[in-house]
Amino acid sequence: MGNMPDRMVYARPTRALLVKFPRGCMFGEPGNTARQRRIIRDGLKAFQSMSEPGSVLDLPYRWKKPDPDE
Amino acid sequence: MLSFLKESDDRIIEQKRKESAVDPILQEFQQKYQAWVEDSLEEFKAHKMDRIVRNYPFVSYPDVPWTPYLGEAKDHKFALVSSGGLYLKDSQSAFDTESIHGDASFRELPKTVRQEDVGIAHAHYDHSLAEEDINTIFPIHRFVELEGEGAIGALADTHYSFSYVNDVVPLVEESLPLLVEKLRQEEVTALFAVPV
Repeated sequence: MGNMPDRMVYARPTRALLVKFPRGCMFGEPGNTARQRRIIRDGLKAFQSMSEPGSVLDLPYRWKKPDPDE
Repeated sequence: MLSFLKESDDRIIEQKRKESAVDPILQEFQQKYQAWVEDSLEEFKAHKMDRIVRNYPFVSYPDVPWTPYLGEAKDHKFALVSSGGLYLKDSQSAFDTESIHGDASFRELPKTVRQEDVGIAHAHYDHSLAEEDINTIFPIHRFVELEGEGAIGALADTHYSFSYVNDVVPLVEESLPLLVEKLRQEEVTALFAVPV
């Protein structure tokens, strides 16, 4: 996972999820278990769908805003 | 630093040291890193991080390693790796949060870990949200749920946390080979790496 695209350029992860949350809360707000589960499930799906080294999935979730429909 | 090493761990580290001694990217990093430390130490001690982070000699390898992911989540065994500086307050030492080099060691966290078991030793991010809910950076309880629901094949008994690391040489030569060996021993096939 990552939240800093400029750093990910150096790290070059094999597969990555990119979130729009600040440091210290990569899975969103404390107690938002539905969002935590959803981000993990996004990762599980990405494992299957990503077929190229260096693939990045930009996730849509925003701080204290409702998640989009699945 | 890694006083818990076993003899087999020593052999893994020695092999990795031989490999990294001829790694031109790591050798170049060491030269640049020494200059960076000299240039950055006073600002680091004063917690003035902006300029020195911009000047840090990040290591970057040209090739991205790739292992195909076969099957579905229910076919895999998962583990988590954090860089959040997590440790077990009652049984493990905290990470070094004073050195400019950081702390390249890691701590092992059981999947039964509770919020109240976890301490955080990392000087470079706001811990307050993770202290409220550790799953904001280390979603171990959500993974336990998914394992119970059969959504993933299995969750490893052991998970891992690092803290911040500036000197990547001991990370590459010592800690990461050990981590990979431990993951192999537990037959982990998929890893969620969550930096902070």
